[in-house]
Amino acid sequence: MTRLEATRLVVAACRDAAIVASLGHPAYDLFAAGDRPRNFYTWGSMGLASSIGLGLALARPDLHVVVLDGDGSLLMNLGSLATIGLVQPRNLTVIVMDNELYATTGGQPTPTASGADLAAAARAMRIDEAVTVRTADELIARLQPRAPLFIVAKVTESKPTLKPPLDYVGIKDRFMRAIARPAC
Amino acid sequence: MTVAWAAGVCDGAHAAGITDVVYVPDNPLSFVLREFEQRYPAIRLVLATREEEAFGIAAGLYLGGRRPSVMLQSSGLGNSLNALTTLVIPYRIPMVIVVSMRGDEGEWNPVQTPMGLAVRPIFDAIAVPHATVADADGAAQAVVDAAAHAFASGMPRAVLLPRRLTTS
Repeated sequence: MTRLEATRLVVAACRDAAIVASLGHPAYDLFAAGDRPRNFYTWGSMGLASSIGLGLALARPDLHVVVLDGDGSLLMNLGSLATIGLVQPRNLTVIVMDNELYATTGGQPTPTASGADLAAAARAMRIDEAVTVRTADELIARLQPRAPLFIVAKVTESKPTLKPPLDYVGIKDRFMRAIARPAC
Repeated sequence: MTVAWAAGVCDGAHAAGITDVVYVPDNPLSFVLREFEQRYPAIRLVLATREEEAFGIAAGLYLGGRRPSVMLQSSGLGNSLNALTTLVIPYRIPMVIVVSMRGDEGEWNPVQTPMGLAVRPIFDAIAVPHATVADADGAAQAVVDAAAHAFASGMPRAVLLPRRLTTS
């Protein structure tokens, strides 16, 4: 399963969700999989996608918040797992697109390539529903009817060719308008 | 025991409509946190493991329609800069940043001095306006003013609490 294929499955399964994507390839693939107003693309702040998602989930308990993180990104902010484990939000799903690479920066291997287990780290931080999936069928099964809190999706690189616009304020304003009204 | 400057910070936050405080604790801020718990339980306190994470959580809270504040010790400003300069500022995400100062007048541990001296130049360099609370009577108004400017302009504002205030 490529990261783009996995991203398409998430977008299809979580139609009403607000989706926060980590910078670089996860955000590029979200844009390619289906640009929609409820997508929040980060262009920097590496590591903070799950923190942004947590804040959003706290602010809007009525909203399903999905975070598309990267393995390299999450490794920059592992403390976020402890905070999520502490808060235990019921409306947050963190999906780590784990390609075992710093793909955006040229394909250097991350520690997950040598066995670092992010789902185990999440469980150790009291995120009990943390799983690793390796196939599209496993991912679909975990996304329905309601995803667990934390999914590591082992993916292969999909070499994105599209990028969202560099219009940060436009991304934010469109996102905030979209989640301010009920999903259609 | 009520500490006047800490009560002022909380009164200001409440008057300004701050809904959530994301924090990494330090000794002076413990007085502020206690005051929030006792007098303003409707203001949600969210513990972060690191200051950079706190800014990410606060950004998400704002996206969801809340009015957040981040409270941190000045020593944590250094590891917040990527969050501020690549998320909070370019996406225009307003919040009130309350900084408990170390390394300024009255500091006992010189390891804090370099960042203590750098806090204001750093905020100036990234164009985040900041005000320093001179005495307990001015604390509430400083927070109210910072919040008013932040949420009107869509940009963060900082309020600095010097050690002469917080250890008096």
